[in-house]
Amino acid sequence: MASHIREFLGHEKPSDYYSKLAEELERTNSEYHAFNVIKKDTEAKNQVPFSTKANICVKGVETTAGSKMLRGYVPPFNATVVERMLKEGSFSFIGETNMDEFGFGTFGINTEVPARNAFDSRYAAGGSSSGSAVATALLKYHVAIAESTGGSISTPAALNGVVGFTPTYGAVSRYGLIDYANSLDKIGIMARSSDDARGVFDVIRGRDNYDVTCAIEKITNNKKGKLFVIEELLEKADPKIRSEFERLLDKLGKEYEIKTISMNILSDAIEPYYIIAMAEASTNLAKYNGYKYGFQYGEFNRRYNDFFTEARSNFGMEAKRRIILGTFIRSESVKARYYTKALMIRQMIINEMGKVLKDGFVISPTLPIPTPKIADVEKLTPVQNYALDVFTIPPSIGGFPHLTFPYAYVNEMPIGAQIITEQANDYALLDFSSKWEESFQYKYKHNIGSL
Amino acid sequence: MKIGLEVHVALPTKSKLFCSCSAEAEEPNTAICPICLGFPGSKPMLNEAAVTSALGIANALHCKINRNISFVRKVYFYPDLPKCYQITQTDGSVGGEGYLEIEGKKVRIRRVQIEEDPAQIVREGLLTLLDFNRSGTPLVEIVTEPDITSEEELRSFIANLRSILYYLGVDINKEIKADLNISLADIRVEVKNVTGIKSLIEATRFEIERQTQLIKEGSPIARETRGYNEKSKLTESLREKETDEEYGYIYEPDLTTFDINGMGFRQAVYIGEIAEKLAQGSDLNPKTIREITMLDSRSLELINKFKAEYKLRSIVHAIERYKKYGGEEAPSDDVIEKMTKLVEEDKIITRETVQDLKAGKQVAIEYSKLSGDQLDKLIRDFLDKNPKIVAEYKRNSKTINLIIGKITEKNGLHPKDVAKRVVEILSGY
Repeated sequence: MASHIREFLGHEKPSDYYSKLAEELERTNSEYHAFNVIKKDTEAKNQVPFSTKANICVKGVETTAGSKMLRGYVPPFNATVVERMLKEGSFSFIGETNMDEFGFGTFGINTEVPARNAFDSRYAAGGSSSGSAVATALLKYHVAIAESTGGSISTPAALNGVVGFTPTYGAVSRYGLIDYANSLDKIGIMARSSDDARGVFDVIRGRDNYDVTCAIEKITNNKKGKLFVIEELLEKADPKIRSEFERLLDKLGKEYEIKTISMNILSDAIEPYYIIAMAEASTNLAKYNGYKYGFQYGEFNRRYNDFFTEARSNFGMEAKRRIILGTFIRSESVKARYYTKALMIRQMIINEMGKVLKDGFVISPTLPIPTPKIADVEKLTPVQNYALDVFTIPPSIGGFPHLTFPYAYVNEMPIGAQIITEQANDYALLDFSSKWEESFQYKYKHNIGSL
Repeated sequence: MKIGLEVHVALPTKSKLFCSCSAEAEEPNTAICPICLGFPGSKPMLNEAAVTSALGIANALHCKINRNISFVRKVYFYPDLPKCYQITQTDGSVGGEGYLEIEGKKVRIRRVQIEEDPAQIVREGLLTLLDFNRSGTPLVEIVTEPDITSEEELRSFIANLRSILYYLGVDINKEIKADLNISLADIRVEVKNVTGIKSLIEATRFEIERQTQLIKEGSPIARETRGYNEKSKLTESLREKETDEEYGYIYEPDLTTFDINGMGFRQAVYIGEIAEKLAQGSDLNPKTIREITMLDSRSLELINKFKAEYKLRSIVHAIERYKKYGGEEAPSDDVIEKMTKLVEEDKIITRETVQDLKAGKQVAIEYSKLSGDQLDKLIRDFLDKNPKIVAEYKRNSKTINLIIGKITEKNGLHPKDVAKRVVEILSGY
């Protein structure tokens, strides 16, 4: 339906459009903290602004993945997605967006200055691609290159009322993405419409020699007539969310056959997900030790172990927790009980979900609770926090493409729903939400950069 | 006594294992990129040439080849390791469950695995310097079962491994690093990072003596990791080892599994088999031939190109004669090459030839040419004087090679000419 990209490219713009935009972002940023870096001296002429999550390398721009450990890291190369966006010619880089440290978080608060919800700054932005979602909800013409490991696109997109599209694992190159958990990390897109997301997807996707796991070239558009609701998961949703979601199903019921099914294995998806994610994360974070890039510890007269220990104390609390848990999970004495078993469960989930997804889409709320205030999120224990990923983890652990779209506003805060399809059938999701947008009116509080 | 080895050798590839940097650069820190420096955001790509090369080695060591290979992360903190994990292989290695034959015995090969080399640490006074040229260059690690039971067997193992690897493009004379496990009692002692064949044998000898002495004294042998000091030729304790080191292996998710189906790799050259083949056609025993063929790095390759039986014999004899007349000194690459040319041109190598070769003179000696009658007389004379050999020939037709050899050598004749006549004349005896 509405392509903001096309609309923007078809309009005359004043010569100071981009410098004014940067100024206004700078002003707004003091309240919402969507951006870590705002590019001021852009040479853009008539290109659509795009931002990148702060864990995606942009040559010559400080890229920290939200961590103190990477403060001062200026990558000497562009991530493949950035390279492709710039080469295509219609897009212009405007800055890097805020995030939970290394992607470790559901609400965007695990960083020095958290981003705030674009609809009400007292509320959580969602995470870990917090800044991507807030920037998309603030800017009228803009697309965000975000990243998700276990729901880091869906959750913030839903909380800020934008489209959040997480492609099939292996459809978009991860080269230049600062790793959280390599077998789960996916680069994706946030936008104000599905057509915009599709436009960006076609620019960034496709094989890349620099990422062996990026091997999917052909994307299909197999339409489905059925929507599956998974009983075990829906039970976890707050009653308010549940009743809103049932209203959505009533609307969709006119076009789709809606079926409630049971998938027992998905009640056990959170644990294997966090086991694999933490095991991989703890190896990825080993390289940060204060002398090669980013944070420089400098006390070179100390013994190696003392040097590393001291330098690595600069990780945030959640990062430390995941390093310790991940290292434990990998240790010889418990590996078979946790890591190896988790890999088996992942395979079972892929098989079982794969069968169901042949017949139809899986649909669910994106988050089981209404948007929480930042102050409330801070009170959650880690386990309560991880449990809130109940809807986003199943597609994430299986590498299935998923898309979140806004469907209602409760107390003026947006609510999102998420649909999932089989691997490499990403276009079907974009078509689904494009159709939904025909009868849905997006609401935004801000429209920075309007023409 | 049980000795097990973990041998590390560099694979002969032009570029590194996971990036396209040169694997041969000399000026420090000139062949580096975000991948081999482990920069945040970089990912490994797999160099297929390294896989092909490692497959050749696994195949030569009679390993079962895994159709799908995978990699793991071995995590430990050390400044020479840019990612603080090394990408290596365990279960999904290129091959395993193989063996290497040494004098009628099989030393089992547990695993052949590919891994990346860390950076090089250079100490200069108080400074620790890092050269990342080596970071990410491909290695193959060959892990044996503890089947070696003497220094003698270790020597044979290394000698046979050397020849097999040589014909796959890896020269362990130039570089070899190994970890040794030696247990005389039931306590496993590990000697880490021994560099070079000579050190490997010396370290083994020292460790056997040390442990033997301790057992004699009734002293306990500590379960520990030791290092070898090349200057003092002693092994020294590095650390006591209560438990195995914890590396927290996980699968390398950036490389997934790699299907080797359809990848060609070089076939093995087995020195033992070649020695056997040579021995069958000559009066030399297999051990002598093996010794000769192990003389230097190029000899086997040069020898092995002769398909005709008599030429094979000629070159083996030539090498033996060179040793005999040359004061047991092994011929150099250069000399072997010259001798093979002489053999190729059907020229014979005499005591004089060897002296000329040793003196570095040009050598070109013609065969004596005899008339048919003269040749026949020579043969008959020899046979008449050696009734024992004739009798031996009647029992074992292979003795003909001995007869031909004796006649040709004595008279500077072409073996082919002699062979034809000998067969005919012998039939009348």
